Amino acid sequence: MSLLDVRNLRVTFATETGPVQAVRGVSFSLGRERLGIVGESGSGKTITGRAVLRLIRPPGRIEADAMTFDGQDLLAASERDMRALRGKRIGMVMQDPKYSLNPVMTVGRQLTEGLRLRDGLGRADATAKAMAALDAVQIRDPDRVMGAYPHELSGGMGQRVMIAMMLIPEPDLLIADEPTSALDVTVQAEVLSILDALVRDRGMALIFISHDLRLVARFCDRVLVMYKGRVVEELAAANLLAAQHPYTRGLLNCLPRIGGPRGPLPGLDRTGDWAT
Amino acid sequence: MTALRVWLADQNPSSRRQARLGQLWLAWLRIRRNRLAMAGLVIVGALLLVAAFAPWISPHDPLVQDLSRRLLPPGTAGNWLGTDDFGRDILSRIIHGARITLYIIALVAVTAPVIGLLIGTVAGYFGGWIDAALMRLTDIFLAFPRLILALALVAVLGPGIENAVFAIALTAWPPYARVARAETLTVRNSDYIAAIRLQGASAGRIIAGHVVPMCLPSVIIRVTLDMAGVILIAAGLGFLGLGVQPPLPEWGLMISSGRKFLFEQWWVATMPGLAIFVVSLGFNLLGDGLRDVLDPRSASR
Amino acid sequence: MSLIEIDNLSVTFRTKGREVQAVQNVSLSVGARESYGLVGESGSGKSTILRAICGMAPVTGGTIRIGGKTLPTPRGRAFSAQVQMVFQDPYASLHPRHTIDRTLSEPLAIHGLPGSDARVVQALTDVGLPPSFRFRYPHQLSGGQRQRVAIARALMLEPTILLLDEPTSALDASVQAEVLNLLNRLRADRGLTFLMVSHDLAVIDHMTDRILVMQHGRAVEEMSRDDLAGVRMTTPYARSLFDASADRLLL
Repeated sequence: MSLLDVRNLRVTFATETGPVQAVRGVSFSLGRERLGIVGESGSGKTITGRAVLRLIRPPGRIEADAMTFDGQDLLAASERDMRALRGKRIGMVMQDPKYSLNPVMTVGRQLTEGLRLRDGLGRADATAKAMAALDAVQIRDPDRVMGAYPHELSGGMGQRVMIAMMLIPEPDLLIADEPTSALDVTVQAEVLSILDALVRDRGMALIFISHDLRLVARFCDRVLVMYKGRVVEELAAANLLAAQHPYTRGLLNCLPRIGGPRGPLPGLDRTGDWAT
Repeated sequence: MTALRVWLADQNPSSRRQARLGQLWLAWLRIRRNRLAMAGLVIVGALLLVAAFAPWISPHDPLVQDLSRRLLPPGTAGNWLGTDDFGRDILSRIIHGARITLYIIALVAVTAPVIGLLIGTVAGYFGGWIDAALMRLTDIFLAFPRLILALALVAVLGPGIENAVFAIALTAWPPYARVARAETLTVRNSDYIAAIRLQGASAGRIIAGHVVPMCLPSVIIRVTLDMAGVILIAAGLGFLGLGVQPPLPEWGLMISSGRKFLFEQWWVATMPGLAIFVVSLGFNLLGDGLRDVLDPRSASR
Repeated sequence: MSLIEIDNLSVTFRTKGREVQAVQNVSLSVGARESYGLVGESGSGKSTILRAICGMAPVTGGTIRIGGKTLPTPRGRAFSAQVQMVFQDPYASLHPRHTIDRTLSEPLAIHGLPGSDARVVQALTDVGLPPSFRFRYPHQLSGGQRQRVAIARALMLEPTILLLDEPTSALDASVQAEVLNLLNRLRADRGLTFLMVSHDLAVIDHMTDRILVMQHGRAVEEMSRDDLAGVRMTTPYARSLFDASADRLLL
């Protein structure tokens, strides 16, 4: 039974020089599994993630043949219904905690805000839940972090706070948009393993959006490769190295390897039909 | 027309002029989508046209008195907005007053922002004691209420339109200096400034060619929004009898002299007041629209 | 003789009573026509070293010598004809209001060099961009194209040393490959010396001959490219960088 079903999603932006189609007919369905969406800049992967949550503002327009979440029609849902869904049933973790956490509120306040306003918990209960969430993301000194402001935290810590914040309401689906791209390599590994454990433990579905094919392959069950608004290939992560589509193969081959040959790196051949 | 459009929309311009005009055209398309901004543009455009063609569109001479036709109400045949206490047609005076208003605005617009830009960018770029000294100078001028300083200057220099403009400009430049300095501080740390410094450019070249173009959008927006204020200050000076001298039909002066009749013959003071209101509104709307067009979204990406 | 010699360099930033030691006693030397890499995570001081060479960071200790001579402060025109830099963010390193033509011809104008017309067209061709791009603005170019312009700009004055501050980390993988290939070709054609900063070990491995690993402003380990490829690093930090490298995920 699929949790999220998207058919022929199209997102168009009206600009002064004419309409721009950012997403051109993307279809996929997602059960309680991890789906990776990979693409370069301009591929439409981030917009796809935001379209699911109906976070695209005018002059952008979302159209699809169908977009349902757990039986509920996302296209027809009112803004009120969407607000009830966002955060509570579908969460989103974004790239840079510097920009996605409110800089003038302490972490504790941001974590408990949703609980107090949306769920009506009292201060003590909300704080307890927030501390438990920080503990779940392996933050060793939750007291200090609760009282800290986002700029006082390191990148990795900030991202863990972001993840904790999104997981407090226990959503069914988490959309992670380049959650580790702004982090150092050693910290990336840590944050990913935390995310990994949490997703597995809570049986959540995950959409992992990234430009890094290697990361997505290691972390997800299935991978969608997007190029210029279309899905060019869909494959199981385990079969990544056996990918068929020229774009995916090109993406894999163009990466430099440690210990690899020092001749020119193979570029991407954008002359195929798929490249329009 | 389409050939010109194609030329402007060309993705690969073949000269600097074509590139620049193409960008201006795109900015025009963007501003065209904003209804309020277009309304502002229409008002400002109307002001320019009225000022340009004043002698031809104005039904009467603005200075000729006709005491037999004093204080006629609006709607009277031949005097659509009524007459003032000297029998002069108010509509004609407003039309000719547009010239004076435009003259004042233009003079202020070319002096105050230029001074402010210069001081602000130099202060922001060099930092240190130069910044401190220039900013203290700016603070000194900012501390004076505009009208008071204008009064003082006019008291020394004597009343008249040029002195009024000088007084207004002298108090109008500090905000531009502040805005320019703030932008400069942001821009100063950019990679493109580092790159040009690394090429051995002098401070003058960097400030004039690289910093100022980045400060221009904020300054231009500020200028349009300030125009409303300038008009009001000129009107204030006129009202106090310190700016334009009678019998010139400056709008503020008209309000001042119409004050005496405000309750019985309200139109003498209200009509020029409406004119000021409409023109200020026009500039404000235009300024807001320009902010959308010149916003950093298009500047940095 | 080494072209770049850095001896015990220290860089300290002082802001409002707080002191941050961005670089502490780092020494390295780069030979002529060599490609040297600086690797580390954020805060390691690797980019600060490049800025210190350019005279854009407060040096509080040690010396920097180029071609055996200490550098004058301010650096001066002769320096800019010898050393140039390619910056990390293609969206921030080109002036948004200048056409490509202006960006490329300005260094020539500053140094009073003639023939900018022909040289700008030649520069564009050298980095693989069509000459028709000449009067475009940066926002009309993609990230990869902008980075090519940045490289072209750096080469306008025909320097011998190119400092590269994470030149491809803001680019897509496929574009990165093209830009790295371009850099290698230009280096071979013009006999350039590279000092390259990156956090990506695979890129460093591909582009450089010797590598310095940095952490928290200090030099941790210097190794050759072969040592990296053969996993012969001696310090645990270098080893942890290697293990965490995304390149390893494809094994």
